[in-house]
Amino acid sequence: MGLFDTILGRTKPVQSNLDALFALPSASITLQSAAGMACSGHAGVCFKPPTGQGFADMESEVVTLLSMDGGSGLTRSEDSFGYTWLVVEDPDIGSLVTRVHLVNSSLSDSGWGPQLLCSVFGLAKLTTDPTVAAGSDPVEEGATVGAGTLLPSTAFLVYLFKRGTFYPFVPTGHEQRSTEEEFRLRSLVADDLTVEADLDRWFPLWDLPVG
Amino acid sequence: MSTARNIPNDRGLTLRMFTTGLLLVLLYGAVVGLLIAVGISYALVLVIAGALLFVQYWFSDKIALYGMGGRIVTPEQAPQLHGAIDRLCAMADMKKPRVAIADTDVPNAFATGRSPNSAVVCATTGLMRRLDEPELEAVLAHELSHVAHRDVAVMTIASFLGMVAGLVTRMMLWTGMMGGFGGGMGGGGGNNGNNNGGDQAVLVEMAVLVVSVVVYAISFLLTMALSRYRELAADRSGAILTGQPSVLASALVKVTGDIARIPTRDLRSTETFNAFYFTPAIAKNGVSISTIFSTHPSLDQRLAQLAALEAEMGRPS
Repeated sequence: MGLFDTILGRTKPVQSNLDALFALPSASITLQSAAGMACSGHAGVCFKPPTGQGFADMESEVVTLLSMDGGSGLTRSEDSFGYTWLVVEDPDIGSLVTRVHLVNSSLSDSGWGPQLLCSVFGLAKLTTDPTVAAGSDPVEEGATVGAGTLLPSTAFLVYLFKRGTFYPFVPTGHEQRSTEEEFRLRSLVADDLTVEADLDRWFPLWDLPVG
Repeated sequence: MSTARNIPNDRGLTLRMFTTGLLLVLLYGAVVGLLIAVGISYALVLVIAGALLFVQYWFSDKIALYGMGGRIVTPEQAPQLHGAIDRLCAMADMKKPRVAIADTDVPNAFATGRSPNSAVVCATTGLMRRLDEPELEAVLAHELSHVAHRDVAVMTIASFLGMVAGLVTRMMLWTGMMGGFGGGMGGGGGNNGNNNGGDQAVLVEMAVLVVSVVVYAISFLLTMALSRYRELAADRSGAILTGQPSVLASALVKVTGDIARIPTRDLRSTETFNAFYFTPAIAKNGVSISTIFSTHPSLDQRLAQLAALEAEMGRPS
């Protein structure tokens, strides 16, 4: 914010940076080889719905667009802070990122970029035991990128739109997080993603609706 | 298309704020010029006022927190408050301020601290009890806008002149009372034959007194006006940040309605905070949301602005 804006008491709404999202698939590969983790196939976009019919129309357009796109799941929910979550599910990390990007770019293209808070990508520990994975839909076997199937997320990568950075978030119970695990994840993905350097901004997202 | 991005700046508000600031600067220039013309004997006053204001500016967070009885809380102690501020800061891309709670039933909130890095946002328990979560968030967005606009720094600088004028007035009154006009400072009491010089000194002192009272009054009014405009600006930025102007409006109505019904004892206890300072113009080292001080625009004015914003945002594309 410039001096002139300070004197006149103005703030400009901050626009979103979306490009960094496409670094996720390579981070997922790194995680898979280094830690046996991969994207769980769940991702959520979080935004603050502003007042007015203009935004509501746009949001329902996005939802329609996403449901036409392919059979995989899309759920909409609201959290206790008054933010809306659009949660998409797609076992393929590439198309998951594309779908999330579709939501984000639809919002920011129609001028609602300032309303975007964050996107969250679930991570899961890959297991070699086939009986565990059998609980979810039997998608094609032997996928090289990502879990290839939907897994329950145990850790998350949060993408901050206004910063263009990621940070790891590992909830361990009721309003508790594993800082140790988060630092481990940070060092693993640091080469592929821009990690948020300011630890103050690694805010917790309790009760994530992302599976 | 009606979008958050395309909401135009409020030209009227900008113009009024700019004019007020310009008038303050002009007044300041005139006073400095006058001081130089009279002699440098008031340099000391400037130094004292500057030092006082610097202390107030530098310790604004501690002074305001102490005055309101606020204490810093951790995310564990106040998860909901921290969560709301975390999210608003992430949306606005600003550094998260420290979060404090003041244990009083007066519904109020304020932001203080000399810079965004040392900022504190404080809410009272009375505020949190009365407002629902979206309303509380709207109030927090308003306070975060004060932080982003650096309102503590702006108001400190703006109130410097009023402080100087107030100091000069008091000094003149003191010396006038103690030594009689012309006796104490004029130094005309020496020779009987130098009566003429003594008269002149009295005249100069009277003039200085009158000028400083007038300057004090004008700068007081200007700082009040500036403060009101900054409140409106914070309302505006806060409402744009959350995208829901009507929620802030309903919070304002709730808080204002409640303040009118609060027993005097509570009102007096907030006034000690007010009297803590030298001039009422800078009474609030933090900028609060309540409308009981004239540093704030009237409720109607604030509601009208928010209604206009709501209409602006709600227009279908």
